[in-house]
Amino acid sequence: MSRKYLLLILAFGILLAVPSVIQDTFFLRIITEAILWIGLAISWDVLAGYTGYLNFGHGAFFGVGAYTTALLMNLCGCPFFVALPVAGVVAGIVALIAGIPTLRLKGAYFAIATWALARAVQQVALVMDITGGPDGMRLPTYLHPGFFYYLMLGVVAGIFALYWFLLEKAPFGLKVKAIREDDQSAMSLGLNPTKIKLQAFILSAIPAGILGAIYAYWITYIDPASVLGDLVTDQAVVMAVFGGLGTLIGPAIGAIIIFSFKTYFWAYLSNYQVLYLIILGGVIAAGVVFLPNGIWGTISGYLQTRRTLKQEPVVQEKTDKGAHHV
Amino acid sequence: MSEPLLQVNAVTKTFGGLHAVFQVSFQMNSGEIIGLIGPNGAGKTTLFNVISGFYAPNKGQIHFKGQDISGKPPYKLAVLGIGRTFQVVKPFAGLTVLENVIIASFAKHPKRRQAEQHAWKILETTGLADRANAQASSLTLAGRKRLEVSKALALEPTLLLLDEVVAGLNPTEADRTIELILSLRNMGITILIVEHIMRVIMNISDRVVVLNFGQKIAEGIPRDVAMDSGVIQAYLGEAPL
Ligand SMILES: Nc1ncnc2c1ncn2[C@@H]1O[C@H](COP(=O)(O)OP(=O)(O)OP(=O)(O)O)[C@@H](O)[C@H]1O
Ligand SMILES: [Mg+2]
Repeated sequence: MSRKYLLLILAFGILLAVPSVIQDTFFLRIITEAILWIGLAISWDVLAGYTGYLNFGHGAFFGVGAYTTALLMNLCGCPFFVALPVAGVVAGIVALIAGIPTLRLKGAYFAIATWALARAVQQVALVMDITGGPDGMRLPTYLHPGFFYYLMLGVVAGIFALYWFLLEKAPFGLKVKAIREDDQSAMSLGLNPTKIKLQAFILSAIPAGILGAIYAYWITYIDPASVLGDLVTDQAVVMAVFGGLGTLIGPAIGAIIIFSFKTYFWAYLSNYQVLYLIILGGVIAAGVVFLPNGIWGTISGYLQTRRTLKQEPVVQEKTDKGAHHV
Repeated sequence: MSEPLLQVNAVTKTFGGLHAVFQVSFQMNSGEIIGLIGPNGAGKTTLFNVISGFYAPNKGQIHFKGQDISGKPPYKLAVLGIGRTFQVVKPFAGLTVLENVIIASFAKHPKRRQAEQHAWKILETTGLADRANAQASSLTLAGRKRLEVSKALALEPTLLLLDEVVAGLNPTEADRTIELILSLRNMGITILIVEHIMRVIMNISDRVVVLNFGQKIAEGIPRDVAMDSGVIQAYLGEAPL
């Protein structure tokens, strides 16, 4: 346990030192984006991995955050640090409104509903004048790669720490897991599943909105395809699943691996870009089949089994004789 | 006499055209153990589900501590003091035994540390403390049934509904569970228990309520109910010649 903390702190320390060691802005930009994806993957995992509800519209929160920032900065000249928290709040409110009717549904319907929500939000951005329609929006430029690097790092580290505390230390985490494991049993123990799922949904949406805000100000140009398209959600999903759901560390690792792969491919093998999606798809299919718990889930599961085997004999699971009664 | 703890008043619950529970009434006083028996499909579990809020009754009311609780959701009733187990056990399989019980303890002990302390106490009571750090999915059936009871108990309920917590256990395990149930009564918990094993019901119940095809066909002290011709007929399944 404490070794895990040390590794995280070490990783954070190394990341803090990166800009002073690496002067290459291209490389800094890539690491900034990698950190962004870690944030998106873990925020998606909060709902999917901890409650079992697959949100196929996560990109909508990212896009809402990005557009909120662009609108505030362009229309009323808001400073970025005012727009940033507002973007998070707006994403949270969208989650609240979307979650109340949909989180009562079974998981599969929720997945479809969130996907539809994302398409609807994208359509709104496409048809409105104020958002620039398909042309998108430009933001005031602030060219300072180091600033965005540290901002991204600080925000994602903060999100990670908050999630870690809430989900692994505080009562909230166990309550959420209880609902994932068995919502009827959870209900009989005083937990309101819809309310807790809604809290998790909002907890997942707000950081995505904040990341959208940073992204918009950093890249200075957003349009419905780039921040509200399927790709944002799809990549976050793939990263989280590949790394290992419900573990926070897993999706972070998945984000680093998938993003590195993608970057390498696009930078050095750009002639073979079509291959990217094919290989990615193949890797994911293989991952789901051979590592259903993701990379991190498989590793930590293996370590845990070894530890248990050393400590106590594994109890043979008997068949549940009561199970045929209904 | 103070007012009854639980009053079930002409409760009916139907599924499609089927009366799973039909106009059932009975009441429970504080500190009682009541056995709820009846053949398979008689409506015992359905009645549990209605009392614990999983189904709203189609007709009738349920009063708990003098308050009308009909149709209130389970999570509110749990906090009000109704704990229940599930006939088909529902452990949080991926979590440890201790975590399972900590979750249940949050209802009365919202802080993590206090909840954990409380959970340990419960596990000592129910004899699962030595398995506290095992995955719930690694427990045997007897262990899982104990875990069901532990979770319901961790709510610190006034009323505890036990649905076949003894069935499927070997005689030694069964005796330990019966002992546990009696000790819970001594702690002041009122218990409604469903069980097919007559030895259990007859030994521990103060009164017995008998259901058949959703209707209450008898109620009384165990000895009288055991000799009731209607009850015998229901269990033998055909009219005596
Ligand atoms: N959710 C449901 N939907 C439809 N029918 C149901 C449902 N639950 C129970 N029933 C029916 O209601 C009747 C009563 O079932 P219930 O499970 O309450 O019986 P029981 O007395 O608990 O039986 P057992 O001793 O086998 O546990 C049965 O005919 C059953 O098939
Ligand atoms: Mg039953």
